[in-house]
Amino acid sequence: MGLGRFIAVRALLMIPTVLILLTFVFFVMRIIPGDPILAMVGMKAPPQRIEELRHMAGLDKPPYIQYIEYLWNVLHGDLGRSMIWGRRPVINEIMDRFPATLELTISAFTVSVLIGLLTGSMAALRKGSKTDTAMRLYGLIAWTLFIPWFGMMLQIVFGVWLHWLPIAGRIDPDLAPPRITGLYVLDSILTGRWDSLVSAIRYLILPSITLGVVLSGAYTRLVRNNLVEVFGQDYMTTYRAMGLPPKSLLRKALRNAFIPLITMMGLQFAILLAGAVLTETTFSWPGMGTFLLERIIYVDYTTVQGTIVFFALFVALINFIVDIIYAIIDPRVRY
Amino acid sequence: MKIGKGLSTSYIVLGIVLIIIAAVAGYYAGLSAGKGVQVTTTTVLQTVTQTKTITETLGATTTTQTTTTTPTQTTTSTPTTTTPAKETKIVIGVTDKVTDLDPANAYDFYTWEVLSNIMEGLVKYKPGTTQIVPAIAERWEVKDNGKVWIFYLRKDVKFADGTPLTAKDVVRSIERVMRINGDPAWLVTSFVDKVEALDDYTVKFTLKKPVSYFLALVATPPYFPVHPAYNPDQVDSDQTAGGAGPYKIVKWVRDQELVLEVNPYYYGEKPKIQKVIIRFYKDATTLRLAIENGEIDIAWRTLRPIDIESLKNNPNLQVIEVPGAFIRYMILNCQMEPTNNKLVRQAIAAAIDRNDIAQRVFMGTVEPLYSLVPIGMWSHIDVFKEKYGDGNIELAKQLLAKAGYNENNKLKLELWYTPTHYGDTEADLAQVLKEQLEATGVIEVTIKSAEWTTYLDYTRKGMLMISLYGWYPDYIDPDDYLTPFLHSEANSWTGSGYSNPEVDKLLDEAAVKTDQNERAKYYEQVQKILAEDVPIIPLIQGKLFMVAKKDVGGIILDPTMLFRYYLLYWKS
Repeated sequence: MGLGRFIAVRALLMIPTVLILLTFVFFVMRIIPGDPILAMVGMKAPPQRIEELRHMAGLDKPPYIQYIEYLWNVLHGDLGRSMIWGRRPVINEIMDRFPATLELTISAFTVSVLIGLLTGSMAALRKGSKTDTAMRLYGLIAWTLFIPWFGMMLQIVFGVWLHWLPIAGRIDPDLAPPRITGLYVLDSILTGRWDSLVSAIRYLILPSITLGVVLSGAYTRLVRNNLVEVFGQDYMTTYRAMGLPPKSLLRKALRNAFIPLITMMGLQFAILLAGAVLTETTFSWPGMGTFLLERIIYVDYTTVQGTIVFFALFVALINFIVDIIYAIIDPRVRY
Repeated sequence: MKIGKGLSTSYIVLGIVLIIIAAVAGYYAGLSAGKGVQVTTTTVLQTVTQTKTITETLGATTTTQTTTTTPTQTTTSTPTTTTPAKETKIVIGVTDKVTDLDPANAYDFYTWEVLSNIMEGLVKYKPGTTQIVPAIAERWEVKDNGKVWIFYLRKDVKFADGTPLTAKDVVRSIERVMRINGDPAWLVTSFVDKVEALDDYTVKFTLKKPVSYFLALVATPPYFPVHPAYNPDQVDSDQTAGGAGPYKIVKWVRDQELVLEVNPYYYGEKPKIQKVIIRFYKDATTLRLAIENGEIDIAWRTLRPIDIESLKNNPNLQVIEVPGAFIRYMILNCQMEPTNNKLVRQAIAAAIDRNDIAQRVFMGTVEPLYSLVPIGMWSHIDVFKEKYGDGNIELAKQLLAKAGYNENNKLKLELWYTPTHYGDTEADLAQVLKEQLEATGVIEVTIKSAEWTTYLDYTRKGMLMISLYGWYPDYIDPDDYLTPFLHSEANSWTGSGYSNPEVDKLLDEAAVKTDQNERAKYYEQVQKILAEDVPIIPLIQGKLFMVAKKDVGGIILDPTMLFRYYLLYWKS
């Protein structure tokens, strides 16, 4: 199988995955108790008004008709309109918030991989020592940290006590750069607004560390175990016998230990998005996580469906990219 | 094997970070108490419950109060932002959200507050009171026994871009609300038959029937004139053109920030603060940390009781406290066994101890309420206190004995609550009520709960025996606190099934009378019947809290619950 064909097959496999998820979410939303119309109008609306709104939203039709209609629209790229508060198009709601989540995700992802590589290498290089134990313990603790709690600790220390970093939000309200991509760091650079860039980065630090540290635990363990395995290989013994310094040894070992790590990164991305929900809430980060949470509480069918499908596509895309990178690095996968 | 130099430096840095984390963890051991460390979950639905757990823990642990105050006393607040000069800018933090910047569809208190700062109606409330004063209309006339209202407009009113505001704009805006028929439209459509411009500065309303409290309705956002830029036929959720208020919107990023600047064309006295920034926070804890950190100058809705208590000790901050118009009550089902028995309902009313609820559940952040009409509003009388007292176990026992219940034949009740809609304290409220009722020794209470939308649905269908609810007024008038609950044509949402022709008649008559003293007599009468029939038991009335930096002046809060940014100033 050539690389081109491999990519095509992988791309096609994404379609049924997303469709199954969409169907699942659609029916789960309708099974869970609650009604978006009631949630929106609250207790004061007269019954005829509720019927009127239900009709407007198409909720008076049988679920299977609603499903077919919804699926048809989605296939045409229309995610419908939100059911509450102004009934804005779902895609606009998502696009308003997605850049925030993407920015946080990329940043936290980088932090987690860096910490993971660092701690994992340290543990592997001193296998069996106190450092090893400490790093493995770190991996375990980091993985079990509760995000809102850890985030609050950082806010108290670096925000309230030390006054080094802001507590919540994405940027100083006076410094927001004009929107190009919606990623504040990137937009600041593109427009040459250096004060905005500094502000955006300052706001990004605490949430990224919170989420990054929590997710780094898995990498620590993975990097350590892989490195230990690679170090045990005959070719590494040869290198050692050749008298290579530890730094170059590590570099050579890392290259080989990297393959399972890449697979893990793809998988971690889904977890990263789930973690973003909690991180966003703690730091009032105006992203998709808090948005989804809010809309689940209000049983806003279309928005929840749309957001989850969007999330799924995003994760599928990341995994698709990971698969390709993987195939390029390790040709065995394709055959 | 040895490690490289670069690695050992990182090792030290990492070690320090871990030590800091451990130290802080130790410091806050009481706070996290077993629940702090949990395994990260991967599904969204599971994380929802986790968030709840942590807030519940925080809310319930009294140690938080003492531990978190200490650090704040030692720090001085330094704003992180520097430009522009402090005197011209105020930053307000809220956990509420702006739902719809369109008065045709906005129907929540916080959005109404924002709209009241960027728009103005024909009439408005005098700050600090519930007294209605002229705004865009300088005077008005009532004709045809309260069926026709004529408003005479000021001639110097302009929108924020300088466009003059005339009677046509008023008519266009109100007709727009009626046409779009959004959530708050009933405040117009249920009362107004026709609105027309007699000339450029005269507006005439013809009502469906006389409405004594029509001015209170006209003071609500659906009656606010909006700029011609608003889409005439559809909800315009992100429209920032506003109306003719003291401020105008210069920037609006949904869920993130709202920036207001003085409207240069405002007819009245110009606000002292040039720029008001509203920052939206996702939870109360973050909001509290933000005011401590100095990121915001004012922390507004809604801080948790425990945080307010703790912030009172901060020397850099002031805590403002006023009665609010928000009330909490329980609804008793008058159609269901055994609460269809009036004696049973009266016994429940007697057994409840409101002071105990205010202290134990709400830490003194609310006031006991003995009528549906809130304290401080004309016609309010403490009917339940006069008739039953507070926590009157003896009376409750007597009434229950009369109804045929005793230690061997206990009265079995079901008490429902909804866990998130009214905040973290709701489960505690249900628990305290259960204790109070069971203190009679003759009652057995089962507590049940349902999520908000399910809860509403069950209530409407009359499936709940006793349910806990809360009420924010739509307009400031006793009518809004009595008719929706007690009038048999308006109270189907309560699920109480209560109907009393005498009450219906009294409420109908009071609604058309124009003399307030005369109306008060009707409402007093209705309150007395309420205490006798007990379809609803009032529990508490909320207070409004605001925490601000010491040198912020001009904070005026009143029962309308709308915070006026345009009165603020920095004390020099």
